[in-house]
Amino acid sequence: MAGSFSLWLFAVSMAASALGGMLGMASGIFIVPLLTIFGHVEIHTAVGASIVSVIACSCGGAAPFLKNRLTNIRLAIVLEIATTTGALTGVLLAGIVPVSYLYLLFAVILFLSAQQMLARRRSPVLASAVSEASHSRDALGLNSRYHDRELGREVRYRVHRLALGMVLMYGAGLISALLGIGSGVLKIPAMDTAMRLPIKVSSATSNFMIGVTAAASAAVYFMRGSIVTEIAGPVAFGSVLGAIAGARILLLVPNDKLRVLFVVVLVVLGIQMLLIVFGVHLIKVSR
Amino acid sequence: MNGAGRLEELLAALLRYGSWSASAAIGLGYALALIGSHADSWNPPVLSNMRFVRVGIVLFILLPILRVLLMLLFFIRERDFRFAFISGMVLAIILLGIFLGVPAT
Repeated sequence: MAGSFSLWLFAVSMAASALGGMLGMASGIFIVPLLTIFGHVEIHTAVGASIVSVIACSCGGAAPFLKNRLTNIRLAIVLEIATTTGALTGVLLAGIVPVSYLYLLFAVILFLSAQQMLARRRSPVLASAVSEASHSRDALGLNSRYHDRELGREVRYRVHRLALGMVLMYGAGLISALLGIGSGVLKIPAMDTAMRLPIKVSSATSNFMIGVTAAASAAVYFMRGSIVTEIAGPVAFGSVLGAIAGARILLLVPNDKLRVLFVVVLVVLGIQMLLIVFGVHLIKVSR
Repeated sequence: MNGAGRLEELLAALLRYGSWSASAAIGLGYALALIGSHADSWNPPVLSNMRFVRVGIVLFILLPILRVLLMLLFFIRERDFRFAFISGMVLAIILLGIFLGVPAT
């Protein structure tokens, strides 16, 4: 019984992570709904398992971004002050907030992700094309550049509205800790829209920050005993393998069909999470 | 610019090998559990094997924290004290959480 449940956790996490990886999303957003709806895992335990897999996916995927100099390390460490503070706030709230509110908040995040998946990201690169002179206003030396392979040239960029970015990152860290997700769904718009970073830079930098943000809350959850080895182990291992598989399959499947499948899954899970708030279980699973 | 490139190389290596080690520990735990179980029934994983899994989980949680520590040391060595301070702050926030998270007993 325990063994087959481990296998189930492993398979589900691998599938979720492969799916997520194909569209550059962390698997975290699927893991908590799947574990709570189908696995009848208690939501705090599901969050604890999910947050470990979020770290795994962030750390496992960081190296190529770093080697291609897409990650803005200096900006990341500055923003991490806000994300880790948010994560601690989230961890403190997690013990207080009623479980039904967690489901409700999760449903909202799922719908937001679906909506974001439908609306394509637009690159603000051209809008923020920067001249050498504007570096003078960059007190922390956060402005940078990266080599864009598609454009075949160096792209310089400026970091806009750092203060607003910090506030949004605090929120992203809080949600990440509370729900056990990477909360790229909140980080990416903050970096794309508020800070006007090029898409590739915000994706890479967001991925880089997600690990530290998740570790800040995971460490506390671990000390509290909310991270159950028997649940978190298979989930983390499945996610790592799934992420590797997802990156390979990515090249074989048409992106638009995948996008539609993704939106459908997100909405269905969101509706079910919403119904749980009102005590309705549409998807009956007996285990 | 050269300095920044070296930090990126260091971080990439830490995160890559760290992830591999943590995954390997978890995988090893389950592989041993699988070998140790009988063919007809997948017994509840043996305690000693679950210890490997737990080590893997702890490694994953420590990895980003080590990453911040590495940045702190790098910035100190580069005499970039502003960013050393910022890295130190992030580390302090994480440690504060661990300290607050310890049960009062």
